[in-house]
Amino acid sequence: MGGTDAKDILGLPKTPLSLTQEKKSRPQKESHRKPDGISREVYALTGGVAPLMPSIDVTQLKRPPPPDEKVAWQWLPVKSSARKDDLQLYHWVRVVNDIPPSGDYSFAKYNKSVDVLKYTDDEYENHLTDPVWTKEETDQLFELCERFDLRFTVIADRFPLSRTLEELKDRYYSVTRALLRARAQSPAELANHPLIKEPYDMTRDRERKRALSMVLSQSRHQEKKDAEILAEAKRITEMRLAARRAAEPDVPANENIGSVSPSSNSQLPATAVAPSTLTMADYASTLASLRMLHVYLRTYGLEQMVQAASSAVGLRTIKRVEQTLQDLGVNLKPKVPTKTVCDEHLELRKEILTLLNLQKQLQYKESEGSSHREGTYGAMPDTPKDRVFASEPFGFGGTFLLSPSFQNFMYYFTISNLQGVCLSVFTAERPIKKEPKRKGPGRQSDTPSPAHKRPRKLKASDL
Amino acid sequence: MYGGDEVSAIVVDLGSHTCKAGYAGEDAPKAVFPSVVGAVDGSEAMDVDADSAKNNSNSEDSKTNESDKEKGKRKLYVGSQALNYRRDHMEILSPIKDGIVSDWDLVDNIWEHAFRGCLMIDPKEHPMLLAEPPLNTQQQREKAAELMFEKYKVPALFMAKNPVLTSFATGRATSLVVDCGGGSTTISPVHEGYVLQKAVVSAPIGGEFLTDCLLKSLESKGIKIRPRYSFKRKEVRPGEFQVEDVGVPDTTESYKLFCQRMIVGDIKDSICRVPDTPYDDKSYANIPTTSYELPDGQTLEIGADRFKIPDVMFNPSIVQTIPGMEKYGDMIPTVRGLPHMVMESINKCDVDIRRELYSSILLAGGTSSMQQLKERLEKDLIEESPHSARVKVLASGNTTERRFSVWIGGSILASLGSFQQMWFSKSEYEEHGASYIQRKCP
Repeated sequence: MGGTDAKDILGLPKTPLSLTQEKKSRPQKESHRKPDGISREVYALTGGVAPLMPSIDVTQLKRPPPPDEKVAWQWLPVKSSARKDDLQLYHWVRVVNDIPPSGDYSFAKYNKSVDVLKYTDDEYENHLTDPVWTKEETDQLFELCERFDLRFTVIADRFPLSRTLEELKDRYYSVTRALLRARAQSPAELANHPLIKEPYDMTRDRERKRALSMVLSQSRHQEKKDAEILAEAKRITEMRLAARRAAEPDVPANENIGSVSPSSNSQLPATAVAPSTLTMADYASTLASLRMLHVYLRTYGLEQMVQAASSAVGLRTIKRVEQTLQDLGVNLKPKVPTKTVCDEHLELRKEILTLLNLQKQLQYKESEGSSHREGTYGAMPDTPKDRVFASEPFGFGGTFLLSPSFQNFMYYFTISNLQGVCLSVFTAERPIKKEPKRKGPGRQSDTPSPAHKRPRKLKASDL
Repeated sequence: MYGGDEVSAIVVDLGSHTCKAGYAGEDAPKAVFPSVVGAVDGSEAMDVDADSAKNNSNSEDSKTNESDKEKGKRKLYVGSQALNYRRDHMEILSPIKDGIVSDWDLVDNIWEHAFRGCLMIDPKEHPMLLAEPPLNTQQQREKAAELMFEKYKVPALFMAKNPVLTSFATGRATSLVVDCGGGSTTISPVHEGYVLQKAVVSAPIGGEFLTDCLLKSLESKGIKIRPRYSFKRKEVRPGEFQVEDVGVPDTTESYKLFCQRMIVGDIKDSICRVPDTPYDDKSYANIPTTSYELPDGQTLEIGADRFKIPDVMFNPSIVQTIPGMEKYGDMIPTVRGLPHMVMESINKCDVDIRRELYSSILLAGGTSSMQQLKERLEKDLIEESPHSARVKVLASGNTTERRFSVWIGGSILASLGSFQQMWFSKSEYEEHGASYIQRKCP
C-alpha cells in the first residue's frame, strides 16, 4: 500500500506486472482495506495488516457516544468496605443517567492481611508457656505480627525488648504449631500443613546467617590481598619446580622435600615456604618436620614428570599404559628410584604411549580401508574431509590436504594397497585428542561411542 | 489511571531548609519557600511596623505572599517575598533544631502561610499527608496530629516517614535512602515500605553546614559578602556602576546572616564539585580558579575551596582546617564520612537484606545534586564493600526531582486508590485520641 503511494509521489512507473497483479490481488485487497475509524497512514504504520491480537477495538474509536446516555462527572463521597469508620472522602465519579455507580470501592479488594492465629488465655496456660518468654512479650509479638503482616525484619526492628530475629521467628512458629496441634481434631488433617511438615529450625537459620555475614563482610581490600597471596604462592611453586628440574642432575638421591600446595588460602604467608596439606597421610609427619628444608623426594619429581608427559592424553589411555606396564611385569612406581632407573621408567612410559597411539591409528585406518572397499562411500555425511575424498577415486596414491576445520594438523596419507593400510608419521600437536572428533566414513555404521556422539536433535520426542 | 484515585489530598513536607506543599497527584509542589520565620519583637517598633505592614499589603497585588500575624507583641513574617524585604529588628527564627520541631508556634504559622497564602485552600476539605523525619518521637507526632485536627480541622491525616516516601518515588519498596538535606544527612534503610529504625544513621552535616563553611572560608580570605539590602548601585557612566553602602543600623545579625547565606548558597550550588579523590591541600594548591560575580559587582576567584568544601561530607575532619569553624571541632570526631555511614547503616541490618540494600542506594535531598557526588560515593562504596555485593547508587538525573523526592513520593502515595483505607480520620482521632496515631501510621 505504502509502496504504491511512494511511487505515485515520486512519479515512478508502476511495475509492468502491476495489472496482472491487481487482478490477482483484488480478492485479497478486499480484506486489506483499511478499517474505518483510523486514518490510512496510521493503519499503514502497522504494516498494513491488522495485528494478530487487536488491542483496541477499532470500531469503538470514533464512535460517537450513544445519544440516550447522559454522562456527567460528579464529586461524590466514597464508601469503602476497607474502612471501619465513616470517613467520607470525595472523588470524581462517572455518573451515567443520573445513577451513581453502586458496589464497593474498587480498591477495597486490595485490603488483604495475613491470617495470624489468636489464642485465649486458657490456651496459653495449657500449651504455650515457655521459660524464656513471658505472656506479655508473646502478646506483643503477636500484635506486631498482625500489624506488619509477618514481616519479621520489621517486627524485629520494632520489638521493644531486644530479641534477635531468629528468636522471634522461633517463638512465633512454635506457638502457632502448638496451637494448631491443640485445636486440630485429628493429627491427620495437620500433616499437610506447611508449619508441621517443615518446622523452623533456629540453629540452622543462625548458622546460615553467620555464614552469609562472613561472605558479605570480606571487603574488597581483603579479597585483593587474598588474590595477591594466591598469585604469589603460585609463582613460588613454579619457580621451585623449575629450579628443581634444572638442579636434578646435581642433587644426590633420596632427599626429602616439603611440597608446596596452594590449596589452602589463608595459611599462606607470602614470603616463606608454606606448610603443605598433603594428600598422602604417610608423608605428612615426616615432611611436616622437614618443611623448612629445601629438599626433594625423587619419587615426587618422578610423579610430576609422569603427569607432565601424560597430560596430553586422556584418562583411559593412562589406564591402558599402566595396564601394559603391569602386563610386562614392571612396577608402576620403581622400587629403587635412582636417577637412571627413573629415566628409564619415563622412557618406557613414553614408548608405551607411542605404541598405543600407533595401535589406535592402525585400527582406524583398517576400518577406513574396509569401508572404502565396501563402497559405502557415496552415502557419507557431508564432512569437509569427504569433499576432499570425493574428488579422488579409489586406489589413488597421493597426499591429501585436509580442509581448514582440522587446521591443527596436516595429514599425509599414503594408500599403497587397500589390504594393508599403514600410516606414516603424522605431525600433530594433539593427535590423540583430535582423533575422536573426526567423523570418519566408517563411523556412520558404528554405534555412537561416547567420544563422538552427535547431538540428537529430537530429544523431546524421546521422552 | 491504573491505581490512582484522586481525593484531592494535600502533601506538606516541612524540611529544615525549605517547606514544600502542594496537591497530591501533581509532579511538583506548588509552594516552596524557606522554612524560617521572620519575627519582629518588641513593642516600640510595633506601631510603625503595623502601619507600614498595612500599607504594604494594600499596595501590593492580590498575589502577595506576605502574611503577618499579631501574636501578642510579636509579628511573624513567612514566605520568601516577606523575608526578602528588610525590616528593622526582624529576627530570623527556625522552628527546626537538630531535625525535630522545637517551636510549634512557628510551625503553625508556616502551615497557615502554605495553606491560605500559597495554595489558597480550606484545610477542612482536604485530607493531609505530612512528611516526618524517620527518628521522630511519639510526642512530636501527637502534637502534630493535635494541631492539625484541632486547629485546622482536617478530615483525615497521615504521617509518613521521609525515606519511605523517597523510596516510593522511585518505585521501590526496599532501598537504602541517603537523604542529604539542608540541616542534616540521614541514612535510613527501608524494607518493604517500613523504615528499620534501629539502623538509621544521622550526621549533622548538611547543606547549611557546608554553606557556613564556605562563608567562613571566604571571610577568612578577606572577601566581604555584602547582603543585598546593604548597598545600592548607581549608574555613574553607561555600563559602569558604583556601589554605595546603605546604612541600616537596625538590622539584626541573624537577618544579615540569612541574606549572606542565600548568596553563598548560590555560590555553592553553582561552583562546588565533589573531588574524585580525598582532598588534600598540596595536590589542589595549583588548581585553576573559577570566577563568580557577587550581586554588588565584586568578582570572586574560587580555587581550592571548590573541592574542599564538598569533601567535608566525605571527610569531616577537614572542617578543622577552615578558620572560623573551630567550634565544631569537638563534634567532629564522632562523625564519619558518608561512605562509612552507609556501611554502618547496612551492617546494622539483618544479613538477609543487605545485598538488596547494597544494590538500591537512593540519593535524595537538595545537597545530593552537588556535582559528582553520586560518582564519588559509588566509587568509595565499591572499594569498601564486600565483593559479592553489587553496589548501585541511584539518583534521578533531574535536580528538581532529587530536591523534592520526598514530596513527590507523598504525592504518589496520597493519590493511590489502595491508600484510601489507611487515613487516620477525625472520627478515629476523637474516639481513640492522638496516641492512636502510633498504630495507624507505622
